[in-house]
Amino acid sequence: MLPTTTYRTAAFVEAARQIGVELTVASEKPSALEATSLGGLTTLPLQDPQRAATEAFLFAKTYPIAAVAGVDDDTAIVAAVIAQRLGLKGNPVHAVQAARDKHQQRELLAKAGVPIPRFMLRRLDENPAEISKTVTYPCVVKPLRLSASRGVMRANNAQDFVKAQNRLNAIVCEPEASFLVEEFIPGYEVALEGLVVNRRLHVLAIFDKPDPLDGPFFEETIYLTPSTVPAGLQAAITQCAERAVRALGITEGPVHAELRYNENGPWLIELAARPIGGRCSAVLRFGDQKISLEEIILRHALGMALPPLQRERLAAGVMMIPIPGAGTLQEVRGVAEAKAVPLVEDVQITAHPGERLVPFPEGSRYPGFIFARGETPSAVEAALRAAHRKLSFTLLPPQPPASAAGPNPP
Amino acid sequence: MAATDVRITAEPIDTQRCKFVLSVPVLAGGVRRFTGADEAKGSPLAEAIFAIPGLGVTELIVSGNIVTVVKQSPAPWQAVGKPVGAAIRTALASDVPPVAVAPQPPGAVNDDALYEQVAQVFEEQVNPMVAKHGGRVELIDVQDAVVMLRMGGGCQGCGMADVTLRQGIEGMLSQLVPAVRGIVDITDHTSGSNPYFQASKK
Repeated sequence: MLPTTTYRTAAFVEAARQIGVELTVASEKPSALEATSLGGLTTLPLQDPQRAATEAFLFAKTYPIAAVAGVDDDTAIVAAVIAQRLGLKGNPVHAVQAARDKHQQRELLAKAGVPIPRFMLRRLDENPAEISKTVTYPCVVKPLRLSASRGVMRANNAQDFVKAQNRLNAIVCEPEASFLVEEFIPGYEVALEGLVVNRRLHVLAIFDKPDPLDGPFFEETIYLTPSTVPAGLQAAITQCAERAVRALGITEGPVHAELRYNENGPWLIELAARPIGGRCSAVLRFGDQKISLEEIILRHALGMALPPLQRERLAAGVMMIPIPGAGTLQEVRGVAEAKAVPLVEDVQITAHPGERLVPFPEGSRYPGFIFARGETPSAVEAALRAAHRKLSFTLLPPQPPASAAGPNPP
Repeated sequence: MAATDVRITAEPIDTQRCKFVLSVPVLAGGVRRFTGADEAKGSPLAEAIFAIPGLGVTELIVSGNIVTVVKQSPAPWQAVGKPVGAAIRTALASDVPPVAVAPQPPGAVNDDALYEQVAQVFEEQVNPMVAKHGGRVELIDVQDAVVMLRMGGGCQGCGMADVTLRQGIEGMLSQLVPAVRGIVDITDHTSGSNPYFQASKK
């Protein structure tokens, strides 16, 4: 299932071609060529998993389905519901729903004794000044269902908290929605990419995040693998993620976890029943054949033999290019120079001219990605930063709201 | 213009494929695709690129001022881009046209006939449908039964362009023009300014 907003289309289509399987792409909006595709394209109401499963069931009577895979938080749920309906391999629906809902996830993790930040659930229509009196600072304000750190803010005191809740209210636009207030965990953050096979977590990669993620917002930048975290600590991080997988009841498929560690050991910040997002998976290659993460996911879903889940020897990294400011993108310069930086494999600008760029926490769409590969993580990191310095973004400033532009005409 | 004055910009597509964009055209009209050193004979530019030691070139596509190189070598493009650039400059410096017009071997697939059939499919079926999304698909050429196309409008830079290409156009051509062996998309998707679907999720 490839929603029209995903970055993963090319990677999954290519993976299916590599394996040589017939692919049906399901999206929430119709492709222009769906009517002629003979089962290659279909539209499903991805926002309604039960209805999507019913439609997939009918579709499968004409075009039998051997496996189903989602690519993001929402389609992971749809995939689980369809798999259950069609009797295919997949996660229990309750497990992916729990992974999708940050509060439900924390409840289950806490119950299982997985180390997580202290948290409480609040509603956006509650009085922020009243809530702020009950909070221990610093804390993190977090929406329940937005992804890519959108709407996530740190508050160091009551004044910050009130501002953050009001800002989150404007982002979510659902006054009755709930949100999380959780303890800020200081420490070094890593991401763990894994594949769960028959309830067992196989670690595919642990990524270091060398840029501090201390707030006030939590925009990601660089991911580097292999991790330089000491082996013993990596084992503890893996163990923490394994406990989270068990606690949520995830039995099959890709997982992506964010963890922090400090003097008290690892802390599970988030775990999602989906692969790494954006175009970041391009840095992962496995075995001698340099198989992609997407191919591993499809092979696993189809019950095909898996290659050794050992990442290649070289270090690799990706930079999610920081949003350069608010405004309308006019031009990006220096792409060729950035691509020419040694160890840099590619620079992909995904924002298009004329696109409105919105910084965190309101926005979350990175303008592009830089990829590098080399002998050591530090060399890769240096290459990513050098390439980023070559880029310059020209933005037109955001238009002021009409009411601020001057008095209303008579 | 001297070959040394020609500007060449490398634009890697992925680790295997890279576009070299020249400031001058090397093939006026049409596209030529080479899949081996034997086919490259008579085209100095292709001969020189296939002869680069250790690069393991498996395919070369030349269209206007764009030279697309497909290699087997795991070496990064920034390491092997210079020899490719040097090979291009050497070919441009010679008196012979850098890329010869494709010969039509006896008994080979008639690309001209295929072109007509594919053009008809594009005109009568593909384009009326993608036009609903503000898109268009332009047939550039057919070489050795491989279709070269370029996407425009809402298709250029669209997040679902690969789906349109592989699940839509490729499927249609396999039904309607089964002699087609493959499709190469030569679109510069990064320049699309009005894509119909846009990736936005992390």
